[in-house]
Amino acid sequence: MTTETANAFFTALTLLADVAVVAAVLLAVGRFVPPVRRLGDAVVDTVGPSARRIACLVAVVATLGSLYYSEIAHYTPCRLCWYQRICMYPLAVVLLVGVFRRDRGVRAYAWPFVVVGAPLSGYHWLVERVHFFERTSSCSDAAPCSVPWFQTLGFVTLAFMALSGFLLVGVLLLVDRAAERRDLLRVDDTGHIGNP
Amino acid sequence: MSAKKPPPRPTPTRTPVRRTGRNWVFPTVIGVVVLAGVLAVVLSAVGGSDPTGPKAKLEVSPEVTVTGTALPRYTGAATDPAVGLAAPEIGSVDFQARTSTAGGVTGKPYVLAFLAHWCPHCQAELPRLVAVERAGKNAGVPVVAVTTGTDQAAPNYPPSTWIAREKFRGDVLVDDRAQNAAQAYGLAGYPYLVWVGADGKVAARTSGEIPEEDLPAMFSALAAGKPVPLPSSGASSNAG
Repeated sequence: MTTETANAFFTALTLLADVAVVAAVLLAVGRFVPPVRRLGDAVVDTVGPSARRIACLVAVVATLGSLYYSEIAHYTPCRLCWYQRICMYPLAVVLLVGVFRRDRGVRAYAWPFVVVGAPLSGYHWLVERVHFFERTSSCSDAAPCSVPWFQTLGFVTLAFMALSGFLLVGVLLLVDRAAERRDLLRVDDTGHIGNP
Repeated sequence: MSAKKPPPRPTPTRTPVRRTGRNWVFPTVIGVVVLAGVLAVVLSAVGGSDPTGPKAKLEVSPEVTVTGTALPRYTGAATDPAVGLAAPEIGSVDFQARTSTAGGVTGKPYVLAFLAHWCPHCQAELPRLVAVERAGKNAGVPVVAVTTGTDQAAPNYPPSTWIAREKFRGDVLVDDRAQNAAQAYGLAGYPYLVWVGADGKVAARTSGEIPEEDLPAMFSALAAGKPVPLPSSGASSNAG
């Protein structure tokens, strides 16, 4: 696999993740409108049972992608990249263990990595794109944070990919939580356990 | 008449529920990931360009020769140990693969500008160097561009297109993959300018952007054999 192929592959996944995140935000904002609320509930009922597994898949793919770019494509990670790796790698492991143990409590351990990782990625993306965030007038010959290794579609960089990954994992954890709450509500209302 | 006792309601429980439905969602997501991979491979194969085509230029030199002693690595210290040392001569090629040399003793002052195509500060500095030269404010001191740190996967590739787009009229020397030319001059960051006097000795080294208004005074001082003044902001400089 060439680097260009990897770039295209991860860019496509990034865009899919962004579409999912934007859709989730729209559904959350529109919950005051009954049809949107029903649609949101249907999405939660459909995706909820698989949300943790999908979140795990997202984190694992992001981790493998990160390792590909550093170990195979030889893109030296910059300082901010390392901070994001510190968040993404354990997130993949924690979610993997949670999926195998079928443990919904894994959300509590996963959330801190998302809450720290997503703003870091967002900041890194801004550093790459907005001159205001740069505090230097030169590019280091090692691995400058302000210069992306590559850029596709004019805005998708490794930092943006990480941001999309963190946000999608966060959304999926919220969906998992919403699905759990709906399960409990059903139990309370009918006295029966599980889906109607 | 006694009222009939209603049947007891089942006691609600909050036991977490394991649901088994919608098993198609996760396999579908995996399918989408696999499909994205297949599409990426196919599109890359279809849209791949031939870098060895007739119009391809030499973006990375196959070999760079260094004659003379390499300068110490630039640190930005107040006193630059490289000032006063002989500038090594670099032998390489230009974008058309023609033999090209830079550095050494030429009998006239000159500036070596080490530039990386992906570096935004280099992208900002090159038009300033061009503008100063066009305005005749460079005191007749030529600038030789040394393209280094070239990476095909990085933005603004290839450097030959970038240099041509900025209408840079000076000589160009292409560094090799190991950046031997840059290392011979002690590069530590981009853009990196080495100011060399008529005697072939380093007058100053600067790393980082230099404001356009500071460049004429620096060129004039170099041409006159005087200490090159520090830029007012941006780059750190070491003038002798």
